[in-house]
Amino acid sequence: MSTVDVVLAEIVRNRLIAATDEMAKTLIRTAFNPLLYEVQDFGVSILSPTGELWAETPGCTIFSRTLPDVVRAGLARWGTELADGDVLIANDPYETGTHISDTSVYMPVFFAGRLVAFCGTTAHWADIGGKNPGGWCPDTTDVYQEGICFRHQKLVEAGVRSVAVWDLIADNVRVPAVVKGDLEAQISACLQGRERVQALCTKYGAAMLQQGMEYVIARTDRSMRDAVRALVDGEYGASIRLDSDGVNPNGDFRINLRVIVNGDRVRFSLLGSAASTLGPVNMPAPGTRGTLASVLKGLLMPHDPANEGHAQCMDYELPPGLIVSPVRPAPVDSYGYALECLTELMFRSLAGILPDQCPAGGFQISGVTLSRSDARYGAPFVMFDVLDGGNGGQPAADGSTMMFVGNGDVPNIPVEVLETRFPVRVERLELEPRVAGAGTFRGGAGLRKEYLLLEGGMYTMFVTENSVDPTAAGCRGGSNGLPSYMEIEPGTDREQVFRARVAGIGPLPEGTRLRATTGGGGGWGPPRLRDTAAVLADVRNGFLNVEDAEQVYGVAIVPAGHGFRIDEARTAVLRGS
Amino acid sequence: MEDNTRYRLSIDVGGTFMDFVLLDEQSGQLRIEKQPSLPTELARQCLKGIMQLGVDIGSIGKIFHGMTVGINALLQERGARVGLITTSGFRDVLEIGRGARKEVYNYLYKGPPPIVERCLRREVPERLTPRGEVLLPIDLAALHREVDALLQQGVDALAITFLHAYANPVHEIAARDAIAARHPGLAISVSHEIASEWREYERTTTTVLNAFIQPLVRNYIDSLTHELSAAGYRQPLAIIQSNGGVCSAQNASARPIRTLMSGPAGGVIGAKFLSDHLGHANVICADVGGTSYDVAIIEDGCILERSETEIARRPVVGSLIDITSIGAGGGSIAWLDHRQGFRVGPQSAGAAPGPVCFGRGGTEPTVTDAHLILGRLDPANFLGGRMPLDAEAARRAIETRIAAPLGLELQVAADGILSIIEANMANAIRSKTVARGLDPREFVLLSYGGGGGLFAAGVAAELEIPEVVVPVAPANFSAWGILTTDYIEDAARTLVMPFIDATIDNVCATLAELESTAVAAVAGYGFAPQEVRRVRRMDLRYKGQEYTLTVALGETCVTGREILVQARRDFVAAHRRLYGHGELESDLEVVSLRCRAIGPVRPPRLSATASTVTSTARTRPVYFREAGRFVETPILERESLRPGAVVEGPAVIEEWTTTTLLPPGWRVERDAMGNLLLRPVSK
Repeated sequence: MSTVDVVLAEIVRNRLIAATDEMAKTLIRTAFNPLLYEVQDFGVSILSPTGELWAETPGCTIFSRTLPDVVRAGLARWGTELADGDVLIANDPYETGTHISDTSVYMPVFFAGRLVAFCGTTAHWADIGGKNPGGWCPDTTDVYQEGICFRHQKLVEAGVRSVAVWDLIADNVRVPAVVKGDLEAQISACLQGRERVQALCTKYGAAMLQQGMEYVIARTDRSMRDAVRALVDGEYGASIRLDSDGVNPNGDFRINLRVIVNGDRVRFSLLGSAASTLGPVNMPAPGTRGTLASVLKGLLMPHDPANEGHAQCMDYELPPGLIVSPVRPAPVDSYGYALECLTELMFRSLAGILPDQCPAGGFQISGVTLSRSDARYGAPFVMFDVLDGGNGGQPAADGSTMMFVGNGDVPNIPVEVLETRFPVRVERLELEPRVAGAGTFRGGAGLRKEYLLLEGGMYTMFVTENSVDPTAAGCRGGSNGLPSYMEIEPGTDREQVFRARVAGIGPLPEGTRLRATTGGGGGWGPPRLRDTAAVLADVRNGFLNVEDAEQVYGVAIVPAGHGFRIDEARTAVLRGS
Repeated sequence: MEDNTRYRLSIDVGGTFMDFVLLDEQSGQLRIEKQPSLPTELARQCLKGIMQLGVDIGSIGKIFHGMTVGINALLQERGARVGLITTSGFRDVLEIGRGARKEVYNYLYKGPPPIVERCLRREVPERLTPRGEVLLPIDLAALHREVDALLQQGVDALAITFLHAYANPVHEIAARDAIAARHPGLAISVSHEIASEWREYERTTTTVLNAFIQPLVRNYIDSLTHELSAAGYRQPLAIIQSNGGVCSAQNASARPIRTLMSGPAGGVIGAKFLSDHLGHANVICADVGGTSYDVAIIEDGCILERSETEIARRPVVGSLIDITSIGAGGGSIAWLDHRQGFRVGPQSAGAAPGPVCFGRGGTEPTVTDAHLILGRLDPANFLGGRMPLDAEAARRAIETRIAAPLGLELQVAADGILSIIEANMANAIRSKTVARGLDPREFVLLSYGGGGGLFAAGVAAELEIPEVVVPVAPANFSAWGILTTDYIEDAARTLVMPFIDATIDNVCATLAELESTAVAAVAGYGFAPQEVRRVRRMDLRYKGQEYTLTVALGETCVTGREILVQARRDFVAAHRRLYGHGELESDLEVVSLRCRAIGPVRPPRLSATASTVTSTARTRPVYFREAGRFVETPILERESLRPGAVVEGPAVIEEWTTTTLLPPGWRVERDAMGNLLLRPVSK
């Protein structure tokens, strides 16, 4: 590549990233579903004409890694029959790598009659039919129960909408107005991306776009290899067990990861993981590969804008039929637990050779849904309130309270928006520090959120996993974070406590109270090495009581004036220094 | 408002200097002064600058001031000890935030720490519904207990945020009044006065940030007012707000969060004034400084605004001129990342150590160094010769740090630095135009600030912008712009409901209420109500959507029926333009209503100027990308250009504070007022 092209390649690459930012803005601003406009449970990408990732703006990172598989499957399906103005739809989980609610909408971009790129979005729909409102079914036994499946149908064919496909969607989801609004938003985003790519081709030529990105990808691949080569060669691994597959409570739901670092390549082996399960905790292979690739990229090159080059130095030992590589029709709707487990297994496996990059374990995904499809009680709705929880303590900082652990920029839903949209009142939203693991750097606090149902006829579902073998494991002497749980009518004689996930609880009468408590993060390092001033601040701020400060952290704290102070002498005795 | 005094003064405080522009209201003449902006004695420096102007302070009728005290306190996180009062059960909203991992691949990402630690966040029983109905009346006894506890812990400013206060401020007002009666003089910020819009984290943060900077800003304004009055100044001091208008010093003290953009806003307002005069309705305003490149847009004669921004990683809700700032300017550093990727900025060498060629110890090559070795700057004549530049050092730095590692020729590497920074600048403009469906080719670029002339043609070429204006004295343009501002007060309220016949009376009543609030505030500055201009706007969306589009209600759009028809039509048109689709008949919701009241101030006159010097013909070799080599290029002095003079590129036009580059294929015309108008020569 000639010298001037180095500069042009950088410009082309930045333009493509800017284009995906514009696409994401359009999606957020026109979407109808809080999972998209508030939570940003979507991904936006621009890809090469053969489906390599060129640029992305992720909400959830997983989607950027799996959209290439989707586009390649679409290319295999249609070959040269793709036309300018086509918009395709796909949500077959074995191709998309996640679950059927995550629907990819993508379009080929043509310039001067030639296919030059793809623009795509993957977004979590408010509903996709299936047995549970809003998806994320906890107890399906095959994928057909999980919703309506698309495999690269042309939603728009050469600019003309397929009324049949649109009607089919409207007739099969519980909230058609919301879903159609979101679909329009996804198409708008793709159209915006197409316009940007075509403008780039006009300015620099389609060949420059292709060559420039080939150069960027090759250079990215080289630096990934350099970063891998800098790691100590060897075989590292960890395993974790899910509590239940949602159908069978007693199986062995182990996920086993080995990471083999050898020169400038990394091999991931999932051998030894459980066979795919009866219930829907399986994660399709593209998602497994995508998660592992994303986490390795994040650990080695966290600030680099992602492209195909970050995922080329990896090999996978992933035979079909495992919990992390199920085959049709194995159910997959609750795949996200496996995703978080894989993320944690990556941290655990690599903490020894990347001690400054890997946090302690964080909470498993949690959330509450409320829904009503029977209009006699009031308007049908689906509320999927994904909740923040504790992330793991870090090598030099306390853990945060955030959405998910390893998967993207996903804000929560404001209480004022939630109460305006849905017939609930939130009576309390606060940090719950007691579930956090102790450590030199403690885990992030969990969340406590109390809902009062203002109308009748609602059903609820509670999302959690790993209450027995926690994801939120402490690291280097830090203690584990505690898992999530939900209570119905807490503190009354009708109280029910759920420590495992449940669905279909209802119909709940008006005035029912629900209380969700999300898990905390694991601590990093021995608690007795925690900075005493930080312990004092924790006591002052109600994150820790005086007894635990003394027993767990070895810091004696006594009241002083309107606050507290450290009893230095006794602390020295307690800490043995 | 009749103004009987002779002078009006603007004071624009920047990072390094404060600029003074004194307008003689009778003759229209301008006088300029500069003082270093020493952070610890800003008020005294202001006075010093005024004295240097050499006019009797009693003859100054108004002082308009763009200040940076608030934004600096926020950026450095040095402010008051704030106590926060919230609805029972919600004190942690400030710390929980939105829980997003903004750097998606960074597993060690941490959001910003809460400005108020948990023990200083206290709760009071009270509750409203989303419609603003009172569910649980406020417990004032509990409020007093909590406030007393906070004061015992040394709090010196209070913030109060109750859930759904945007829908009904009754409890916040009751709390504010009760506390004010019991603790006179205590700084209190209540959320509905600071940002009456929904999303509790964003509103709470904005309110807390207001409280955080309030004592500092109040002290600054008090001491400035004191210094001014001690020197004999008895007239109003007005402060530039982020929305581009001025407000009284008292209002700025109470709501300093609305003045965060006080600095860069002046340039945009000046740009609007100049553009109106030149007859341009669509203008891209670009302020090229040493460290940042600030972009704002004028569309159809209106400055584009936004209702929320992010400062120091925290959200700030409120009307402000939509200014995008990126780290790109003369001091931006060129570097190679760990995979030999060629980057420029966002880090800047700033004023110290500065570019390598300044010879103040800078070692990393900057944009200015690249300009220098490509011949665009004269090493002997920088800042009128006040600062000799070391071209050899600049050459060495670019050679060893960029050219050699990448295997590029020196001038190709230097030109690469400029290409990348120009592409970044163009991207900033693109995000303000293309991303909103605006075509930059239909705009004029107004390029000002110290680097305005150097980056004018390059950025315009990148975006195919057909005309660039480099105004007179571009380096002082922002201070001049402040002189053109009006008094502005905004009122807004979130009121979510269907946009239909049954609710339109409520919409009209709320608009009328907002209008009377805003107009009364401007009338307080001495304007008769009939002098006050009003702009009413509403945020609409399709039922089911979350985000809104703002549409203006024209003067003929008054009755409920007119609003229902015209606002719907305008909303649908905007939605189609921005997003490519939009049903005319679908259900709409109104979300927020807004009213702006404007008290017009007489702006400075724009008048013709003559050329003031004659210059001798000079040339030097200058590198041009278009030629791919150094070209012997005429060097002109800007003051020597006569009105109507036309020069063909390549040329370099110098003045003492800046340089304008005219590449081959471009032509410049000096207009009657002295502006440089750059246009590509049509082929």
